[in-house]
Amino acid sequence: MADPTTPATTNDPHGIRKDVDSPGQLFVVFATVLGLALVNVFLSQSIGPTKFTLPLQLAIGSVQAGLVGYYFMHLRQGDKVVILTALSSLFWMGILFVLFMGDYMTRHLVVSQ
Amino acid sequence: MSASTHSPVLKHHFDDLGQQHASERLGIWMFLATEVLFFGGIFGAYTVYRLWYPSEFVLASSHLAWKFATINTVFLITSSLTITLGIRAAKLGDRSALLRYLLITAALGTAFMVVKGFEYKADLHERYVPGPMFQAEYAEAVKPIATMTHAQAEAYFAADATKSHPDHEPWARDLALRNHEGSTAAPADPGKIQLFLCFYYIMTGIHGIHIIVGIGCILWLVWEAWRGTIPPENYSTVEVVSLYWHLVDAIWLFLMPLLYLAGIGYGHH
Amino acid sequence: MSIAVPHGTPALATTSPVPPEPAPAPVNYLNVSHTIWSWLFTVDHKRIGLLYLGSISVFFIIGGIFAALVRMNLMSPNGAILTEDAYNRAFTAHGVMMLFFFLIPAVPGVMGNFFIPLMIGAKDLAFPKLNLASWYVFMIGAAFSGWAVLVGGIDTGWTLYPPYSSRSSQSNILPGVMGVFISGFSSIMTGLNIMVTIHKMRAPGMTWGRLPLFVWSLYGTSLIQLLATPVVAVTLLLLMVEKAAGIGIFDPTIGGDPILFQHMFWFYSHPAVYIMILPGMGVVSEILTCFSRKNIFGYHAVAWSSMGIAVVGFLLWAHHMFVAGISFYAALLFSLLSMLVAVPSAIKVFNWTATLYRGSITFHAPMILALGFLVLFVVGGLTGLFLATLGTDIHLHDTYFVVAHFHFVMVGGMVIAYMAGLHFWWPKMTGRMYSDWWSRVAAIIMIVGFFLTFVPQFIMGYHGAPRRYPNYPQEFQIYNVLSTAGSSVLGLGYLLPGIYLPLSLFFGKKATANPWSATGLEWITPSPPTVHNFDATPVVVCGPYEYAIGVDQMGRGLPEPPGPGGSDGPTGPSGPMKKETEVVG
Repeated sequence: MADPTTPATTNDPHGIRKDVDSPGQLFVVFATVLGLALVNVFLSQSIGPTKFTLPLQLAIGSVQAGLVGYYFMHLRQGDKVVILTALSSLFWMGILFVLFMGDYMTRHLVVSQ
Repeated sequence: MSASTHSPVLKHHFDDLGQQHASERLGIWMFLATEVLFFGGIFGAYTVYRLWYPSEFVLASSHLAWKFATINTVFLITSSLTITLGIRAAKLGDRSALLRYLLITAALGTAFMVVKGFEYKADLHERYVPGPMFQAEYAEAVKPIATMTHAQAEAYFAADATKSHPDHEPWARDLALRNHEGSTAAPADPGKIQLFLCFYYIMTGIHGIHIIVGIGCILWLVWEAWRGTIPPENYSTVEVVSLYWHLVDAIWLFLMPLLYLAGIGYGHH
Repeated sequence: MSIAVPHGTPALATTSPVPPEPAPAPVNYLNVSHTIWSWLFTVDHKRIGLLYLGSISVFFIIGGIFAALVRMNLMSPNGAILTEDAYNRAFTAHGVMMLFFFLIPAVPGVMGNFFIPLMIGAKDLAFPKLNLASWYVFMIGAAFSGWAVLVGGIDTGWTLYPPYSSRSSQSNILPGVMGVFISGFSSIMTGLNIMVTIHKMRAPGMTWGRLPLFVWSLYGTSLIQLLATPVVAVTLLLLMVEKAAGIGIFDPTIGGDPILFQHMFWFYSHPAVYIMILPGMGVVSEILTCFSRKNIFGYHAVAWSSMGIAVVGFLLWAHHMFVAGISFYAALLFSLLSMLVAVPSAIKVFNWTATLYRGSITFHAPMILALGFLVLFVVGGLTGLFLATLGTDIHLHDTYFVVAHFHFVMVGGMVIAYMAGLHFWWPKMTGRMYSDWWSRVAAIIMIVGFFLTFVPQFIMGYHGAPRRYPNYPQEFQIYNVLSTAGSSVLGLGYLLPGIYLPLSLFFGKKATANPWSATGLEWITPSPPTVHNFDATPVVVCGPYEYAIGVDQMGRGLPEPPGPGGSDGPTGPSGPMKKETEVVG
């Protein structure tokens, strides 16, 4: 077990070791996500509540969540159906948001008539 | 099927470990999809009201304890790293490293909940809780300034803030002053502030329950790893819990801006 | 497009002999152990299916009793037997029990659990313990809700709209909602299990294009269960918080929007009607093709229309809210989208009809019920279009027209399909044949009784009789009396299987492995199946409905189909169909 990350087919009949994460990569991802969290706090604090603040905050949050999903949650190595599952959850949440907003953003148009 | 694929970990109704691992991974991902929709429902509701009452949400958010929340963000992101390192240890069959990483993760989760507890305690102390407590505190702040001019009201609250035991909470002073007759700022409906607070308590509460469930699952993994029932072939048990843990972490990454950062720079402008 | 028939299979028609009848296994899943604990702690998907069968039958009876109370009360314009408050509680109890504790778990819980692994050639569902947990969670939820509706009741209607439910109502909202909330997790567990099983546990050769249509329909159902149920879970949680704390996000006094509850509620509850009807469509697809001895017409169209319904079903919930105060433009959009779902539904109906065309139809109970489904579903579906149309919905909203419409789909469609499935698979589940004559009579009584109950409600609703009111003008009494009279016929129709099915366990003829001469893998196992389903993993070589060439999915010949005159005697067509039954679809 001198170099456990080397795929050793003789010791590894189930192919479990072939997808082992490299710690260096995990640390880089960790540092990026953490850095983005702090950037989010300081940026929000310095620009204050403008109309660009929320989209900016959510964009940073999405990048963070994407990094967590891709590296920590191993979507990088995921089956097609796992990726499809992850995407469908977002798609269905999209349905919910779009059709909710379809009502709420057009309601006042009727009241004003 | 070669004899080498047989393993005590393999359950009777699966053909091989590959099928078992793939089923477990797909199963937990489908569960995560339900979690996304579960939080998606409440995020959708939040979006509706944020759209309707932007200024009240900013004002209400500006009185939340964002420093506690930032510390908690650090805890959660770190715990995501440690549990991923735990999977690595499980795959490599390094039981002591697995135990170490799992315990660190559980500790970080617990630390999150402890900080959360202090945060709730501070909110409760400030009577920043929707319902009768909020309404009483707000009425108390409105009453003394009702007959004052706006300048007098400002001076009254400024004096109150310097007391060692102020009569009024900062949020109540802020809100009462803003809704005072002479105020030039747009009034903020105390009802809608409470609406934001409903979201704050419900969203962080549901998230906290998920964290507690996650800690429970991790402690169960610790027990299993300690008993030696997580050999490399069973690494997927750790992975299943970790995927849940990461999702709870990822949801926090959105709760943070929506609840704590919405009004963080408020007052600087 | 003859995708259902791989190249080379026609040769099987002349060469594949009918396999010998498998000897009844001395040890099957029923007699392997007899203790009560062996049932309560079983992880066998077949036994869990029977646990579900037992419990939902009880809930169906409870829901049915409340339905009877409601109908009896409506015999007279001012309420025949109940106070007005008790009437509210009775129709709410009927709705809650029937929807959450019968219709939603019925086919996925009983037949999905039992037959999905058998149909795809697996030893069990992917997560057997989760499956058992789903039944326990379901029973805990049912205990909460059942207690709430039986002791005191809930008076808001099953939709639980705030602010009525959160502020005004003094009835048992919290335990009732808690029960529905909990049972939702059971629904998610079942759906997740079935979906993973279909993805990962199929036997060799069981490609997606060879899955029986019942499996496809349950795949669509599970998709909805997974993606819609969590939204209602969080909605009910918000409602419970609001009820318990006295303040919450639907509270209009602090700027909350009660219509938001309706949006979130129907985001689940409209797709939920497809959770209820899609499995029924799957059952009917199996039965129609079997009893007309023809390949299904348009396999891929029927399969994909299940998925189409599952997805489009998410886009149209707000047609429940046309008069609630939503935006005019949103109402227009939802009206259009609601009509869209008629397309996949119609595709199914046309394909089923084409399947029947020139088939050798025999009228056994499952087939009579499946044909009844076809007719009742078409009526229910088409009247849905009236309600999807904005203008007519203003007139018909919250009238008995709506009540009749959804009962045509839910009862005429789903309950009839559930009964059809139960009759179709009963021999496989229990190893016994029920009375052929009585089952045909019961099927006809159910369908006739159903028409008598709900056709008067269409007329009454069209003339403006509002639903949920205990009192009504004198002029509507004739329709109400007709409807109540019809419901007693319907009740008799449901009572009969409740008698002859249990009796068949003791007095019924022993069933052969494949009494209907059907093609699915579930009929390869002995009746009742052995504990691990298959002695050897089956290898699939054919599409699911090769009735034209008379082979099952393993490419083996089929036994003699039951004759039209009864289940005894080889009066039916012999061997592969000699008639013109081209491979269509």
